Amino acid sequence: MNLYEFCYGIIHWLVDLVNNLWYWLGDVLPWWFGDFFDAVGDLAASDGNLAVMTILLEVIIIVIISLVNVLNFIWLDRKFMGRIFDFYGPYYVGYRIGGWLQNIADGIKLFVKEIITPAKADKLGFLVAPVIFVSTSFMALSTIPLSPDFGIATNESGDGVPGGIIVAFAFFAIAPFSILIAGWSSNNKYTLIGGMRSAAQMMSYEIPMLLCVASVFLLSGSFGFEGVVGAQDDIWFAIPLALGFVVFLTCLAAEVEIQPFDLPEAEAELVEGWTTEYCGMRFGLFMMTSYLRGYIGGALATALFLGGWHGPEIIPGPIWFLIKAYTVFVVIEWMRWSLPRVRVDQILDLGWKRLLPLAVLNLMVAVALKSMGWF
Amino acid sequence: MGFSGYVLRPMGRTIRQFARSFIVGKPNTVLYPYQKLDLPPTYRGKHTLDFKRCIGCSNCVQICPNDCMWMEKLEDPELGKIERPGVDYARCLFCGLCVEVCPTVAIHHTVEFELADRERSGIKFGPKELRDDAYADKVLEERHKRSLPVLDLSKCTGCEKCAGECPEICIAMMPIEATGKQKPEINLGKCSSCGKCAAVCPEAALKMDEVYESYFEMLEPKLKLVNCTGCGACARACPADAIYMMDMPGTERTLKDGKKSKPKKRAVFVLEKCVGCGKCFRACKFDAIAMPGVKA
Repeated sequence: MNLYEFCYGIIHWLVDLVNNLWYWLGDVLPWWFGDFFDAVGDLAASDGNLAVMTILLEVIIIVIISLVNVLNFIWLDRKFMGRIFDFYGPYYVGYRIGGWLQNIADGIKLFVKEIITPAKADKLGFLVAPVIFVSTSFMALSTIPLSPDFGIATNESGDGVPGGIIVAFAFFAIAPFSILIAGWSSNNKYTLIGGMRSAAQMMSYEIPMLLCVASVFLLSGSFGFEGVVGAQDDIWFAIPLALGFVVFLTCLAAEVEIQPFDLPEAEAELVEGWTTEYCGMRFGLFMMTSYLRGYIGGALATALFLGGWHGPEIIPGPIWFLIKAYTVFVVIEWMRWSLPRVRVDQILDLGWKRLLPLAVLNLMVAVALKSMGWF
Repeated sequence: MGFSGYVLRPMGRTIRQFARSFIVGKPNTVLYPYQKLDLPPTYRGKHTLDFKRCIGCSNCVQICPNDCMWMEKLEDPELGKIERPGVDYARCLFCGLCVEVCPTVAIHHTVEFELADRERSGIKFGPKELRDDAYADKVLEERHKRSLPVLDLSKCTGCEKCAGECPEICIAMMPIEATGKQKPEINLGKCSSCGKCAAVCPEAALKMDEVYESYFEMLEPKLKLVNCTGCGACARACPADAIYMMDMPGTERTLKDGKKSKPKKRAVFVLEKCVGCGKCFRACKFDAIAMPGVKA
């Protein structure tokens, strides 16, 4: 049973339950009232409605799982950073579970804060930017299945979005535009510089990253998650494409905007970068989404290079997937708390002079492996 | 340098720190409300005040740079009417000058630092809240203590035996103007604390006593004899009992009924006992005491 069938069963049962009421009303009420409720029942039980409700339920389940993961990620990040810097990290809020509730306390604090829109800001852009940032990240999330049976599918076969990885990267790459909009519309020099830096940064990391992804596509012969992960049944792509994996992780750190590549929000230089003018839960959404992007990045690296949900059968596939995603995230965080921020010229230098040749080399390796017939 | 120097070495460094604080040991931080650091004994926290040592000279109040101390008049069952200092911790900067200047080392810093309160009045500590008569005896004495002869001028007859006995020749008999008497003046810098002067004194006017050395140069009061009316206000105000009122013979007036009045008095300072607080200067209503440098 896959997630679609599970959700379909629940929705079908619920619709049947409620339809009892509609059809009973249709029997009891006089002529055209009765017809109306009969029609409502028929509409509710129609195939299209059931499919839409099922996908909605799937999305809710996936989003809840990923939000819990985000809470874990923030907690993990803080604890890991704390131990690296020789302190405890969150400790007292949720004492028995290692300070895990601190994130929820912070969220409540952000909820009760005032939300201010700057007087001279471009109101539309200022409001739309967080929406784009958050929604595109969730869209990228929606394409990622945790296992063949545990992803957002549109039919009973359980297949995800065809060409899901392409779609995920497309949505993943929209965020710099929302950052640019946010930086421009805030009408503040720091946010503007942050937004421009984000655009400049995207120039440098996007191409090597997509070249690494292309090498994976080349080896697996598929654009979808199932095909790519299925091709890694024997050997993870991280082993033949080790070079590409390193380049991909570096670009991923730039993509999810964490130090050493957090140029758009460089606290030391630009006050809080492009989020300077955002406060309250808007900032909370940005922060939550940045960790969500960390989760998506970890999941993509897992699916592309680390064999996705493959692993010994003792642990179910989705758990394997999450374990690998967490590991990738921890490695990225390790890099984050170890390395200093690069300059704008340095990241362009890194992207064009170092990562791009390495990515091309990696692609050549993939071509060689494919033409030898080993994959 | 290059990749290994800029990337691998820092990352290796952080992972070693992670292992040190997570796997091998614990982080360096202290979980404050539950664990507390052992503070060094010289830590400057809340004050304690030894009521029995304190003489109420208000030197601490005068030296306080933030004006955060004040003298409070109290009625103590044991000590009678006294004046003791209180501290306002909203203004205190914990410089420790009050502790250093105290002539009897009655005020001390403790290691207590949790002074926060919800109201401003909650961090204003009066003398009763600061009182801890046992504390001063427990802590290690930092100030140098000397055994020195202390003169009780009311018993002294001016017999010069102490001056003759002193091996360091640091006692000189000085005449007191307009009284026809003399008193021993002791050069404390030369005194070797041998105690011979106290032993030889027939009236037990000189006694050896433990005296704390001062880090500060003390102000010295000076009497303008012309203005002195002999009222005795300075002697009553003196916290160190360093001022004695002495008769001036030959100043008796003949009253209407032919009897002679009592002679006029004058103040005599025993500067070895003076703590330089300036209370006599403030008590004198007739501008008879000069004390350059004292706060009005």
